Amino acid sequence: MSDKNSPFFVGYLSAPQALRTFLMVICVVFVSGLAGLGLALGVAQDDPGDGAFRFDYGRQTVTGVLEMTPYPVVRVTEGNERIADGQTLMLSGQGKNSIMTRASPLEGQLVKVSGVILDRGDLEMLQLRGGRNGLSAVEGTAPQMQTEQLGRWRLAGEICDGKCLAGAMRPGRGIAHKACANLCLLGDIPPVFVTTQPVEGHEFLLITGPEGTALPPSAYHHVAQFISLEGDVERRGDLLVLKMDPATVEVVR
Amino acid sequence: MSVKYIPVQWNNNKYIYDVVMLAGVALFLYVFLYAAPGLLSHERPVNPQVHNARAFGACAFVMLTVILCIGPLARLDQRFLPLLYNRRHFGVMTVFVAITHASYILNWYFAFSSSDKFEALLFANTSYAQLGGFPFEVFGIFALTVLVILAATSHDFWMKFLTPPVWKRIHYLIYPAYLSVVAHVSLGILQDQQNHVFTVIFIGGAVAVGVLHLMAALHERRADAAIAARAAAWVDICDVSEMSDGFAKIRLLPSGERVAVYLNDGTLSAISNACAHQNGPLGEGRIIDCLVTCPWHGFQYDVTSGRSPAPFTEKVPTYNLRLDGTRVQVDPAANPPGTYVEPVAVPGHAQQEAPA
Ligand code: HEM
Ligand code: FES
Repeated sequence: MSDKNSPFFVGYLSAPQALRTFLMVICVVFVSGLAGLGLALGVAQDDPGDGAFRFDYGRQTVTGVLEMTPYPVVRVTEGNERIADGQTLMLSGQGKNSIMTRASPLEGQLVKVSGVILDRGDLEMLQLRGGRNGLSAVEGTAPQMQTEQLGRWRLAGEICDGKCLAGAMRPGRGIAHKACANLCLLGDIPPVFVTTQPVEGHEFLLITGPEGTALPPSAYHHVAQFISLEGDVERRGDLLVLKMDPATVEVVR
Repeated sequence: MSVKYIPVQWNNNKYIYDVVMLAGVALFLYVFLYAAPGLLSHERPVNPQVHNARAFGACAFVMLTVILCIGPLARLDQRFLPLLYNRRHFGVMTVFVAITHASYILNWYFAFSSSDKFEALLFANTSYAQLGGFPFEVFGIFALTVLVILAATSHDFWMKFLTPPVWKRIHYLIYPAYLSVVAHVSLGILQDQQNHVFTVIFIGGAVAVGVLHLMAALHERRADAAIAARAAAWVDICDVSEMSDGFAKIRLLPSGERVAVYLNDGTLSAISNACAHQNGPLGEGRIIDCLVTCPWHGFQYDVTSGRSPAPFTEKVPTYNLRLDGTRVQVDPAANPPGTYVEPVAVPGHAQQEAPA
């Protein structure tokens, strides 16, 4: 309760002398406190990983065989100094836009692809230029491509969208990024499984639904979660493809 | 006080308040955005859009936390009362910071697809049945909606228009909004965080808000219990010798209302303790120029009638009172706001006035 000896502040009068020191201290603590918090929180940002758009490589144009997993990949037959023959590139359009309608008619054919590379470790994706500049059929018969079956595996890790993970966004994985990843996957960006235990030296696997179908809707609930699952793994060039079995998904954490 | 719904006009203290508040916010954002990246423990930068979104999100959280600490601090220690004075500007600023956070997110995580980004925000993640991977964005949307409503109705015009009880109830939404932000962060970024500095600061802030409110409630409860113990038919307030000129004693009446009994130039008067502006505690104010002055925003009332001096029109209820020997007593039935009550003279007042 108010008494004679405690200073009394009236908003539109100047502050009483006895309160001024106190208020000055509060002001200093407030301003320097906010600066301190800004610093502490600003430097506490986690490492977003080493994925990136490689604009520094310039535009890449290579020829190969288009395969639908059902997500489109190209098995390079005629590379360049950056992209070797025998490599497999995942393909995406601009932003989160699907290229399915462009790619499906060319399945199994020899194509020329052109765009910018995104890479993160052994994960490589090509973001195609628009229209026929990005993807077009070329003359010639497509050579027979080998697909090696590696059997059934149980793996633990995280489903991500291959594009953000590969560096389109930093950070490009995790729970905070889940809605963004779902939006990519809805746009047919190839999904990638990041495994905690490398398979044949690979940390990243293209992940699909069973029997060459797209990722099942139930899997969307587990995007960005730490899960374990079973599936058949196959090798296409330097890319591993995991055909997940939706019934085997377990949330680890 | 109000002429045309602008009760508290601009003045020096408000400028100082706003300058200090803006300086703190600007410094937080500057340090987070421009000084911190050079000091990161890793070489690989976070995308500027995400870095910005995080800076503004964290800033809005810190601001909201400070705002919510001011109320209980002022209840526990009156010296914090000046921080309450212009808190609404602080609140409005928080809304702008929060909107900036949300737009960076919207224009990054939810852009670039063939869908509208606002629609994408709502449909991209629908895992509502699980905690891990729950669409934590909805908690942000709820909090932001509440903050915008509160900021839009923060002007005194709305208090007049909605009436203070309704206005006050709407503004209690700040608590669900704060809890919602806590959920937004707990189910979102805290799930990913490897570096736990943010976690510690975040939990520390939220706990401070909770603990301070608990302490203030206990403090209030203890004061009220002491008051209630003394309540009777004519409610005994205190011995007249305990009163000092220009100041009040506050007592809880059996009805749950609080009365403020003032000694004013040797006479006693009693008015309601609740200011007509925002329920500020009038009994914690004092008499300036013969008028009871509210400690919160300085509204003034004639102590004998509960009326603000012309041209203002605010009124608070008055109470009848009497002197039983040297005991000051109040009739707990309040008079209608603005009712004049003849002040009760204190015999030999000059001798009885408490020493300063
Ligand atoms: C439409 C409303 C909102 C949306 C869509 C939204 C979305 C998000 C997203 C996606 C993140 C994760 C960012 C990341 O990857 O680091 C985030 C983080 C955060 N949000 Fe919000 N948010 C909204 C409103 C709010 C509001 C109103 C507040 C606080 C008043 C808030 C406070 C925070 C904080 C403190 C973080 C953590 C920042 C950090 O990592 O340092 N958000 N928000
Ligand atoms: S002056 Fe604002 S509550 Fe009394």
